[in-house]
Amino acid sequence: MAWLHKSRLRWRALIKRRQLDRDLEQEIQFHLMMRAARYHESGMSLEDAARAANRQFGNRSWWKENIREMWSTGVFESVVQDIRYAVRSLSKTPAFVTAAVLILALGIGSATAIFSMVNAVLLRSLPFQSPDTLVVLWGNVQRQKVERRGASYPDYQDWKSQSRSFTDMAAYVFGSFILPKPGGSEQISGECVGPGYFELLGIKPVIGRTFHPDEDILGKTAPVVLIGEGFWKRHFGSSPEVLGKPLILNRQQFTVIGVLPAWFRGLTDHADLWVPFSSSASAADLADRGSREFPVLARLKPGVRLEQAQVEMNGISNRLERAYPATNALRAVEVSPLSTEIVGALRTPLMVLLGAVGFVLLVACANVANLLLVRAESRRQEIAIRAALGASRIRLFRQLLTESVVLALTGGALGLLMAFWAIRLLTRTSPISLPAFLDPRMDWRVALVAVGLSAVVGLLVGIAPMLQVRSRDVHGALKESSARSGGHGARHRIRGALVIAEVAVAMMLLVGAGLLMRSFLYLSAIQPGFDPNGILTLEISIPRIQPPGADGEQGHPDQRTATAARQLLDRVRALPSVMSASISFDYPFSGNSSAIRYSAEGQSITDARTTPRAYRHRVSPEFFSTLRVPFIAGRMFTESEINSAADVAVVSDNLARRFWPGQDPIGKRIKHGGPSSTDPWWSIIGVVREMKFRGLPNNPTADPDIFLPFARPPSTVNMLVRSASDPAHLAGAVRRAIYELDSSIVISDVSTMKERIGTSSVRDFQLDDGNFCRACAFISLNRPVRGYGVHCPAANARIRNPHRRRRDRRRSR
Amino acid sequence: MQQKNSDELLPGTLDMMILKTLIRGPMHGYDIAESIQRTSDDVLEVDEGALYQALHRMELRDLLDSKWGLSNNNRRAKFYRLTATGRSHLVGETRRWSRLSTAVSRVMETN
Repeated sequence: MAWLHKSRLRWRALIKRRQLDRDLEQEIQFHLMMRAARYHESGMSLEDAARAANRQFGNRSWWKENIREMWSTGVFESVVQDIRYAVRSLSKTPAFVTAAVLILALGIGSATAIFSMVNAVLLRSLPFQSPDTLVVLWGNVQRQKVERRGASYPDYQDWKSQSRSFTDMAAYVFGSFILPKPGGSEQISGECVGPGYFELLGIKPVIGRTFHPDEDILGKTAPVVLIGEGFWKRHFGSSPEVLGKPLILNRQQFTVIGVLPAWFRGLTDHADLWVPFSSSASAADLADRGSREFPVLARLKPGVRLEQAQVEMNGISNRLERAYPATNALRAVEVSPLSTEIVGALRTPLMVLLGAVGFVLLVACANVANLLLVRAESRRQEIAIRAALGASRIRLFRQLLTESVVLALTGGALGLLMAFWAIRLLTRTSPISLPAFLDPRMDWRVALVAVGLSAVVGLLVGIAPMLQVRSRDVHGALKESSARSGGHGARHRIRGALVIAEVAVAMMLLVGAGLLMRSFLYLSAIQPGFDPNGILTLEISIPRIQPPGADGEQGHPDQRTATAARQLLDRVRALPSVMSASISFDYPFSGNSSAIRYSAEGQSITDARTTPRAYRHRVSPEFFSTLRVPFIAGRMFTESEINSAADVAVVSDNLARRFWPGQDPIGKRIKHGGPSSTDPWWSIIGVVREMKFRGLPNNPTADPDIFLPFARPPSTVNMLVRSASDPAHLAGAVRRAIYELDSSIVISDVSTMKERIGTSSVRDFQLDDGNFCRACAFISLNRPVRGYGVHCPAANARIRNPHRRRRDRRRSR
Repeated sequence: MQQKNSDELLPGTLDMMILKTLIRGPMHGYDIAESIQRTSDDVLEVDEGALYQALHRMELRDLLDSKWGLSNNNRRAKFYRLTATGRSHLVGETRRWSRLSTAVSRVMETN
């Protein structure tokens, strides 16, 4: 209990420091007075008595100090004292403090902001149940290199039944749904998922239930749908009666069986609706083992490692290859962790960014250390006096260190605030879109890192002035003339070293940023093989009359869609400032191009690795003129060829050169499928220059393009409009023109070609140029401040000794 | 602690004497010093530094309590008094001291 009593008294002493000193003084004075009174009583005069009493007392400073120290809480109190002193001394030089705090705030703030992104993307685990055991199975094929394709439904069923490494598997694929509304239709993004999907992720419905396995049987899919909480609020007013209510999607009636939590937008990140997987395509398409599209979510059984699962899947792929050589030759499966799938691509750029911002922070530290050194110069006398009065060197070091830590913590606090705003800005304007559930907000870990960083920074920059104090030249410092204060010997070397280090790091950052900038500019300057300026792109969904699946895959074209498309084109072309327009199933950088296997007439035998593969596009006659792609040979389709669905094709240059190098390719024939396929031959009537249709700086695979007449269109097609002026302004007019023709048409995904290329380049290139601009800006901000730091001591010398200069001037006269 | 012939005391002896002095009731520092001097027939003259360090040390150890009050001549002074802990500490110290001094005397008497 004694120590408790002691601590209580000491804490009281800490707070009433001055009161304690006064009490002690008064106690001593009383004693002195009593003694003097006694001497006086025994005959001395008043002054003699007082003097004698004083003398008797002796030197009281040292035991007064002892008593004071008894009462102090030791280290803690002297730290508080140091902090108070530091604050007082810093407030005497507001310009220095402002500069230092600002520099530190920028450095610590940007480091914190980037760290919060690293924290959200790489350190925080995904918001699913036991995310470390979740994996994605991607079907792939061995071509020139291994390329991902996805799984086919029969393969997926076989994987499910034959594998032992997983607790469950669920396919998932993006789906687009048209919801009729009064005054037009709305396009909703969703997912088609296998029955265990939500259980694998650990998502529980807010109300209702998830799918049963017997609702997802091929050919007998139950018309059930799960909706997201946001959708529930928007379309059902969050009414609890929603279960069992009907919902019309794509002209079919579904029943709502449950609502999922608001934060969950599916693994494809935009979903508001979920339906069973077997409604993602027709039963015939799904039963085709060769038609591959989707990834499969799975969870490793406890105790099973990823490598073991991969080995098992390799074995299964081999078995399937032997069983079905036509569709499964060279097909395998990659087992990849879910976290890698979602954020893996961001890992390297984020690390690079973190490194860069770390260097920026180092530059800031060097800057502030320099400023502190200069400041310490001007305080040499003050420090010397303190040393003379008995302050130990450790105490002096601690004092200087406290100052720099206080500075750094203040800078850190300001930086934290700046980081808070920067994070919000970054997430809103970043061209790389993070999945919705990865929210790089400020959390306790980020704040802790910021505080820790500030402390470390404070200690780091405090080292420099401490090295200054090391010199024992107290006597010299006390009577020094300021001609010396320009700095000599060790001091000069330290400052010189700091400046060199700073310049080196800053140069490195600038060069790095410059190189990246150049690469980015180079990327945007690459010609994609067509003219991307002034093109508006939009997706149009024309509702069918017949239900899906009966749209004539057997040579009966859906005339209504084709006619409607023709009418739309005429209408849009009639708009002012529209130079040309075309319709196609896909277009460059649309991301939804599909590939086929083809054969050229008279080709040599190929193996699975070199099987001819090309991307097939169905386009209207104006396609190439709208994109301004030049023809190398031949001509484009005519209207009559489109109307009669003639078997003609325009191919890209690489295809012609592969099979008929040096010959005239016009009139040569190619067909869909392998050499023994019975599909009709297409005659080549034109060859266009090879385009970068699917990516910059190069197409992701080397497959060429085949362009076929726009016939047998699906309900969703794309329109390209070339405008004489800014295409973005045209969007409203085009929309109106289309709605006037048929108000049941749904328009979505309106964008300009330049934007599309930009977004896709950024995604591919993993570059966030906004950040580099900030880094460059920060470094250039640093330079003027550094200049100030370096020039200061000269100014110091001048100010301190005006007399000397006057003397000099007199002498020179 | 100064004696007229500069003898040294064992540590803790001053503390013990202060505690004993305060048995009679609360006193301020000057009176405590005077009391010890008088009772020891001027053999022991208490040094102020030692006195006040001892007083403050004992206050921190909860052996003493302090309160500001008025002295006989109406001046503000700090009065110290024994706490319960202080009383029991005194008993223990007294016992230890008598054992010690008896032992020393016995050694010195043998020849």
